[in-house]
Amino acid sequence: MTTRSPINVVLALIVGLALFIGSYMVAQRICAKQMTNATDDLDWLRQEFRLGDAEMTRVRELHEGYMPKCAAMCKEIAAKKRELETALSGVTNVTLTAEQKLSELGALRSQCQTQMLRHFAEVSQAMPPEQGRRYLAEMQRLTLGFHEQIEQSMSHPVEHQHGEH
Amino acid sequence: MTRLQRGNQFDMKPNNLEPDDARLGTLLRESRPSPSLPPRFQENVWRKIEKADAKSGTNWLDVFAGWLLRPRLAFAVAAVLVVTGLGLGWSNGEQRIRNEAQSRYLSAVAPNTLH
Repeated sequence: MTTRSPINVVLALIVGLALFIGSYMVAQRICAKQMTNATDDLDWLRQEFRLGDAEMTRVRELHEGYMPKCAAMCKEIAAKKRELETALSGVTNVTLTAEQKLSELGALRSQCQTQMLRHFAEVSQAMPPEQGRRYLAEMQRLTLGFHEQIEQSMSHPVEHQHGEH
Repeated sequence: MTRLQRGNQFDMKPNNLEPDDARLGTLLRESRPSPSLPPRFQENVWRKIEKADAKSGTNWLDVFAGWLLRPRLAFAVAAVLVVTGLGLGWSNGEQRIRNEAQSRYLSAVAPNTLH
């Protein structure tokens, strides 16, 4: 027993670890197989907000109606970005044309965001009230929160500098 | 007879013993009184050996190994590990799938051009 004890303990620990890791990986794989529907963009809505078939049908209609508008807006924004890049290339200052392109790009982005938020509101109305509120809050946090974080992170050092003066 | 030959004659190795020498050996052994052993001598010797064995074997690792490798406990620990592993793996997998699905939905409805 004396000489074999360390070996036995180490073997027992290895077996225990292997059992834990093995069962962890098996469960993860089974879960992924059961839950993944990688082709459906709306899978998250069904899972997260526990939508029934009728609600999902309505949400899918709204989604399919929104997607062409979203794609068209993306194309417009991409084209405007290219125009802005052209206006900025080869110059050392911000020209009037570049300024105009920037404000047009800003207007397009704002239009796109408005359209997106309208879509979120419509989708939220197709859900049960509580889930709809949660969806809307979550989507606003995920899509607008990004900008808020940047703005907040940039505004703090500025305020600090102003305070020093 | 040379000195060497005489030396060989009195060599006391058993295979060189002659019958007379063997008899002499027996007589010598019988003439030497063997002391009588104290009472329960053998039992005491074994007890001492067992005690020494027990003392040298009782370190923390042995105690731990003995405790850990009891079949009932080992099965219980293995079962707990498997159940915990399954639970954590499932929960982690669920979270990962949810995050992937969320990213897929977000990239469909809120493209990166807005950022």
